[in-house]
Amino acid sequence: MSAADLWAVVPLLILSCGSLLILLQGAVVPGRYGTAIGVVATLVATLWACQPPVAPTAPVLGIATTPFARFFTAVLALTATAVLLLSHHYNRHREITGEEYPATVLFATFGMAIVASAVNLLTLFLGLEALTFAFYILVAIDRNRPASGEAGLKYLLLGAISAAFVGFGIALIYTGTGTLGIAQAMQGSLTAGNGNPIALAGWGFLLTGLAFKISLVPAHLWTPDVYEGGPAPVIAFLSTASKVATIALLLLLLPAARGALFLHLPLWWLALLSMTVGNLAALLQKNIKRMLAYSAIGQMGYVTLALLSGNGGGYEAAAFYAVAYTGMNLLAFGSVASLSRGGEVNIAEDYRGFGFTRPFAGGILALAMLALAGIPPTAGFVGKFLIFAAALRSGEVSLAIVGILSAAVSIYFYLQVAVNLYLQPVETPSDHNPASLPETATLGLAAVIVVFLGVFPAPFLDLIAGILP
Amino acid sequence: MIVPLAHVLILAGIIFALGLACVIAWRTNVIMMLIGIEIMLNAAMLVAVGGSRLWGATDGQVFALMIMAMTSAEVSLALALVVYLHRRKKTVNADEFDSMKG
Repeated sequence: MSAADLWAVVPLLILSCGSLLILLQGAVVPGRYGTAIGVVATLVATLWACQPPVAPTAPVLGIATTPFARFFTAVLALTATAVLLLSHHYNRHREITGEEYPATVLFATFGMAIVASAVNLLTLFLGLEALTFAFYILVAIDRNRPASGEAGLKYLLLGAISAAFVGFGIALIYTGTGTLGIAQAMQGSLTAGNGNPIALAGWGFLLTGLAFKISLVPAHLWTPDVYEGGPAPVIAFLSTASKVATIALLLLLLPAARGALFLHLPLWWLALLSMTVGNLAALLQKNIKRMLAYSAIGQMGYVTLALLSGNGGGYEAAAFYAVAYTGMNLLAFGSVASLSRGGEVNIAEDYRGFGFTRPFAGGILALAMLALAGIPPTAGFVGKFLIFAAALRSGEVSLAIVGILSAAVSIYFYLQVAVNLYLQPVETPSDHNPASLPETATLGLAAVIVVFLGVFPAPFLDLIAGILP
Repeated sequence: MIVPLAHVLILAGIIFALGLACVIAWRTNVIMMLIGIEIMLNAAMLVAVGGSRLWGATDGQVFALMIMAMTSAEVSLALALVVYLHRRKKTVNADEFDSMKG
């Protein structure tokens, strides 16, 4: 490992050492600087990942710092910064003290960055499990609410099953192809006409496990319970960064297996079921966190549709939508965290009048709903447009029509929340606690990004087209 | 190779199915569900080691070792969570944890 290699993996080192540093300083001055160190570490990792490498480096230890890896490291580390800022006041109100929270957030980000940089199925698996482990802890971290621990247990049991599926799948792909390197294994699984039967079985198990991670129907049942039970900032992180990392993983695997006909049918059904079941079930929800959970299932269905239509530019659309979705969901859960500070207010009717009494957080939530519904000029509109255009270009006409119809259905439940925000309140709310400065800054910046990507998507699309493998 | 690869794969498949059945069927005890998950991961390790033997490379064995390390971390975390929830509710029955619905 040369100095240039070391220079290239510095973002990973910053994230892992930052996590340890937080725990160590907690032993000296407990409960003071944990969040600050976490914010600084993730920001430095973001900036470091943005600068071009000094020299091209060969993959070391199963990770490579390709432009793809650096792009996703920057996005994920920036998301972690936003989550740490959003959770600071929320956690103080819920008495979630201690260094383990920021340390675990950093550790999760480390796992995600490993996933995005992996060139080896073993590193990929370890990164994926590292990030899921961190989320088991984070979901269950609110000890004052029984629902939090229960959500953690459900996530852990189903997460462990999916880990077994992913592990079994990777082991089968290895047995079928004789290599753990991603590019070679993907090539090897395609040889001999229809593909290698052992590697095909491996792909089946792998897709089942990954469908759980991004909560595609029929592996979606954990999502509503975990979203409802977990603390809102943690769910903001879970619903954005962990999904982005898994989409990055699929973007590493699928282009390498381009032209694999055997992947078409399972992805087709996953996309169809996720789009329809997710959006239809969201119509029935009364609790906003459950509604957002089902909406996440639907949104991941669109991403699967994009991954399915890789020949028509779907991979670019999926990467764009992953980033846009991160911005939108950070807005949604960030404002839910801000609005629910005095106690859980998650029934849609409880949000009535927040547009007047809490104009900033209410406005952000309304913007998030418009963006998720795909109304211009937001990133959600551009992302959906790109996905459906890619689907039509690559001949997935029936699936694109189903997607557009389900997107039209989804406008109803998103706008229901936005309308509730601006109806007159039933009674005057008792407490006025305005959003704190870090919250305001984070949500404001995310809102600017969501609108900017919706108005000027071209430079960002050029960037994405350049980084995809 | 004395044991044919097909036998290894069939055995691993049976073990995996048994583990999955244990998780799905034994919902009255979270500990038994965790044991089922362990059995599924053991099947994955068996396949990795079998593949390693087939190709004459050590990658698969490294993979199996890493799964072992991951599994032990996972079990410690899961048992900590089970102890914490047991203190709260005095049960390890997974079906009792049903406060969220819809």
